[in-house]
Amino acid sequence: MKDFDLEKLERKNIYKVPEHLFESIQGKVMDGLNDFDLEKLERKNIYTVPENLFENIQERVLNEVKPKKQAPIFTMNWAYAAAASLALIFGATFLFTGDDADKQEIPAHFASNKQERKTESETAYETLQSDLTSVENTHQTAVNKNDKKSFYANDIANEKTRNETKIQTVKPVKKQTEAQMNEYLDAFSNSEISELASNSTQDVYLDIYN
Amino acid sequence: MKIKDAEIISLMQDPRTQEKGVRALMDAYQSRLYWHIRRIIVDGDLAQDTLQETFIKAYQNFHQFKNDSQLYTWLYRIATNEALQQVNKMKKMQKSDEDPEYYMQNLVADNTEGDAEEIQILLQNAIQSLPEKQKLVFMMRYYDDLPYEEISNIVDMSVGTLKTNYHYAKQKIEEYIKENYER
Repeated sequence: MKDFDLEKLERKNIYKVPEHLFESIQGKVMDGLNDFDLEKLERKNIYTVPENLFENIQERVLNEVKPKKQAPIFTMNWAYAAAASLALIFGATFLFTGDDADKQEIPAHFASNKQERKTESETAYETLQSDLTSVENTHQTAVNKNDKKSFYANDIANEKTRNETKIQTVKPVKKQTEAQMNEYLDAFSNSEISELASNSTQDVYLDIYN
Repeated sequence: MKIKDAEIISLMQDPRTQEKGVRALMDAYQSRLYWHIRRIIVDGDLAQDTLQETFIKAYQNFHQFKNDSQLYTWLYRIATNEALQQVNKMKKMQKSDEDPEYYMQNLVADNTEGDAEEIQILLQNAIQSLPEKQKLVFMMRYYDDLPYEEISNIVDMSVGTLKTNYHYAKQKIEEYIKENYER
């Protein structure tokens, strides 16, 4: 056996093997599976779960559950409530029925507003008056100087009156001005008035195209 | 657990400690209820919403809880109802020509961990193939190990019916796995 070479030795299984060994093993495996017992299987949760799952759920639940802040409810004693109601009723009665002084004050207040508007019409009269004065000067008509003086005197008086009547009603001012105008117009002859009227027409015409 | 339940109930019944009670309730039952809901619904986001709704309903209706039943039984009942309502909504959303079992199996595949064992996936698919009542009974008994008497209070079925249902459910699941397991 000096020339023994392991590499040249035949690879052989010398152990006894039962017949149909592999069929038998396969059969046993299959039988084992067929005997599969669910109760022996490990109870496992195999689904994926997001991180911080329960923290998120708890936060959301507590947000829903926390009592919402309610507006404070005031409770009032019935006696105070009755007193407040009475005060309201009397206050409203006093305000809406009012006394005579109140009644007068309100129209006066409105009158003072109207006065400003009337002042504009007054201004218009003044303008007309000044126009008429200029016409009077231009035509060198026989207007009495005393009349002029009286006009200026009237004018000054009128101015004074206007200042005084600023807080009064408008009607007296209107009447006064009309009286003055009538007085003034009486001083003109018919021909002068017609000439003034023609000038006035021309002014309107010019006004339109200005 | 019994003592802890008593503490939770006491906290929940007092308006001053109610918030603390809700916290204690969630700490005690969130995991069990979540997995119960998750196995019914499968979808993770919807399961999360359903668990949230379960706790809110429990808080809002705590005055209806009677001490003669166990707290977890009462919570399981709310969770089961919420989960079944969610499943019904999902069914309505489903395409009319889609096979419900196939839809649920797809949902299982989409929600499963990558390294999950094949046999575990098969088990979930087998559960989803069960009729609704058998599914509920099987899950509460197999996973949560609830006594039949407690399950009876949750799903309003007699103990005898529950046992029968569980037996059939288990048989169907084993057959399903034997048929579908790849050798």
